[in-house]
Amino acid sequence: MIRTENLWKKFGRFEALRGLSFDVPVGSAFALIGANGAGKTTTIKVLMNILTPSRGHATVLGVDSRRISPTELAQIGYVSENQDMPARLTVGEYLNYLRSFYRRWDKELEASILRQLRLPLDRKISDLSHGMRLKMALMCALPYRPKLLMLDEPFSGLDPLVRDEFMEGLLEQAGEMTILISSHELGEIDGVATHVAFLDEGKLLFQESMNDLTGRFREVRVTLEAEAAKPGVMPNCWMEVRTLGNLLTFVDSHYSEKDLGEQIRSRIQGVRAIDSQPMALRSIFITLARATRDSSA
Amino acid sequence: MVWHIFKKDWKLLWTFVASVALVHWISVVIMHQLGLFGENPMLEMLEDTVPMLAYFGSMFLIVAIVHLDVLPGVRQDWLVRPISRRALLLEKFLFVIFMVETPVLLANLFQGLSSGFSFRASLLPALSKVIYLLGAFTLPLFVLASVTRNLTEAFIFWCGCAVIITTFQSFVGYLAELTHGTLTPVTWSGIGWVGELFRIALVIVAASVILGLQYFRRKTIQSRFLLVVFGLLLLTSQFLPWKPAFAIQRRLSPNPLAGANTVVGFDPKAEKFRLPSGVSATSESENGSRGARENENVVFLPLRIAGVPVDSVLLTDRVEVRLLRPDGVIAYHGTGESLEVKREAPIPDGAPSYQTLKLPGAVYRAMKNQPMRLELDYSLTLFGLTKSFSIAALGGDERMPGWGWCQTKINDVGTAIELRCMQPGKGPTCGTVFLQNDATGQRNPERSVCRPDYSPYSGRFGADDIARFGVNLPFRDAAGLAHFPIDGPKLSQSRVTIRSFEPETHFVRSLVIPEIKLQDWEGQ
Repeated sequence: MIRTENLWKKFGRFEALRGLSFDVPVGSAFALIGANGAGKTTTIKVLMNILTPSRGHATVLGVDSRRISPTELAQIGYVSENQDMPARLTVGEYLNYLRSFYRRWDKELEASILRQLRLPLDRKISDLSHGMRLKMALMCALPYRPKLLMLDEPFSGLDPLVRDEFMEGLLEQAGEMTILISSHELGEIDGVATHVAFLDEGKLLFQESMNDLTGRFREVRVTLEAEAAKPGVMPNCWMEVRTLGNLLTFVDSHYSEKDLGEQIRSRIQGVRAIDSQPMALRSIFITLARATRDSSA
Repeated sequence: MVWHIFKKDWKLLWTFVASVALVHWISVVIMHQLGLFGENPMLEMLEDTVPMLAYFGSMFLIVAIVHLDVLPGVRQDWLVRPISRRALLLEKFLFVIFMVETPVLLANLFQGLSSGFSFRASLLPALSKVIYLLGAFTLPLFVLASVTRNLTEAFIFWCGCAVIITTFQSFVGYLAELTHGTLTPVTWSGIGWVGELFRIALVIVAASVILGLQYFRRKTIQSRFLLVVFGLLLLTSQFLPWKPAFAIQRRLSPNPLAGANTVVGFDPKAEKFRLPSGVSATSESENGSRGARENENVVFLPLRIAGVPVDSVLLTDRVEVRLLRPDGVIAYHGTGESLEVKREAPIPDGAPSYQTLKLPGAVYRAMKNQPMRLELDYSLTLFGLTKSFSIAALGGDERMPGWGWCQTKINDVGTAIELRCMQPGKGPTCGTVFLQNDATGQRNPERSVCRPDYSPYSGRFGADDIARFGVNLPFRDAAGLAHFPIDGPKLSQSRVTIRSFEPETHFVRSLVIPEIKLQDWEGQ
């Protein structure tokens, strides 16, 4: 559905994207994760042909992003936290306006989403709150049943109630849609995303399915008979190694239930017990972010 | 798609559109109410300010129309909608045509019709005006709006442009003084339209390039750079040289051979020019350089101009003057004063004409005793009589096809007949007007109303597209020193005769005087 190859974007001397390559499979909910300024919004804007890449290329719906035409845009929904809609039109007037541009616009679906999101048709867009505007943006992105939905930081600044309403509205209509969602809040995509890519300073650190990611990360606690010390030689996949009394903890980024015990015992003497726990996405993200920071320091 | 966007823009801007159209209409109504003599002081005060307000309103409206779907930036919702850029550009263009230009067209048409002119006579100049405005006003603003994000940015950009233009024009004015009128020869002349059309063509090219770049590729930085480049080209277009511009005008002559027999020659045997009593040949004139004042010396060269057909007027569009020292070095390069030669049937041919040359005092003093070579290049227009009209001297009210609608009345102090006329479009180019008593054949001295403008179109900024012109014909000298053949008591049996002249041909003549001493030709 989306493919980027060695994508670069420069703003003057600043490199916002640095050789980004990733694939978004059809039907997936692909989360683009990264801290503020990591390049998520730039990536989405390049994919939407709002920005032109400095180097490399991207294809969206099989078309070079630079050549995206109204035909492709009619199949893409786009929701952004800072989307400028005609402020002096009412919600109803703007929906009327947009309807005529989409051949596949489903009026019944529009009515159903309207009910669900509880948007006031007669209110001017300028009078909507931030949350309402995001719902409005979602409202404008769904009734034509896009094949691809791009959500750029859609939950930013939303209170939990509005966020839930937004998510309900989204998930109910998702169907076969491919979703690309960017966020710096991991909690927001937990339970939504099927795939995740982690961006840092314009670089892609990894791209993986959520199942694989959560499957390969484990928080490991090793209880020793004597006072714990960090082993001299450790595998690269052991991260955030710490000791406390006779306890050694680390994050295993290539967890294998079968090999873990042997890996530990071959390096550490006097192992009394080994305990491994699955990690929340947030913890995985923090671990990776720290590792990246440490390696670049 | 165009229609959908159009409807959206109308919904958002109809109050603004209506307000600006209303101001345009008010300015036209003011002009209509002022009539030919414009004697309402209140309306006279509004005559300039309301049209200015209307143009300011149009300016902001054009920017607002384009900014409804702003081009620079990455947050606009329309960028992610299946809206064809071609359709968007076309819609904006049509919206501007219908909502900015059409009210002006209708207001001008109304003004022409309500002043009693025919539909055709009112429509064609009104169309010409809006087409002119499209190139000279609307398109530049459209382009400016397309490279800016909001009204504030557009206003700052516009102010920046205004500062650059003013500074540049001041500099050009300073240089023009130094070069004695040779720097910007075409501007403000009868062939000024050539430069104007060149500028409009440049605007169209700039608009095509920049709007294409903005609407289809959204390259704002490159577009802004190009806007500055084209802006500078526009500014430098005022240096358009005279000869090629006049060559274009010559090719458009309706009757190119009409001036074939016209000869301009120096007549050293003619009587020296006599200044009216009390007037000095040396006059003070402002010198642009550092605000200093410098003496100017005036030389009057007697010329014998022959071969001007009867019922014609010969007008100099430009006289280029070169004074050369015996060694061939140019001591002075400038322009001479305009010359008008009339040949009407009742006036005998043969009186000399005097070419006035205003020379800077320093130049004159340095050269006045030296034998100099003088070269004069004349660009001339020969006007032929097309029609004669007459209108009662008192309370006259006539519609004269080809000249316009005129009225006459005595001025407030009772010394002259005021003739005031109007005509849709640019009005007649040249005419002579005099008071004549048909019964006795007596006539007062004629007055000329020649305003050389050879443009093949009418177009200018202003409240309406109607040319207003007129002349005062004195019949009584308040001091009692002069006596006119037709005076107060004879006015009731007299008529104002108008002789209308139109350009027949434009041509050039050169006059070389191998040796001349300037001091021999100072006014006496």
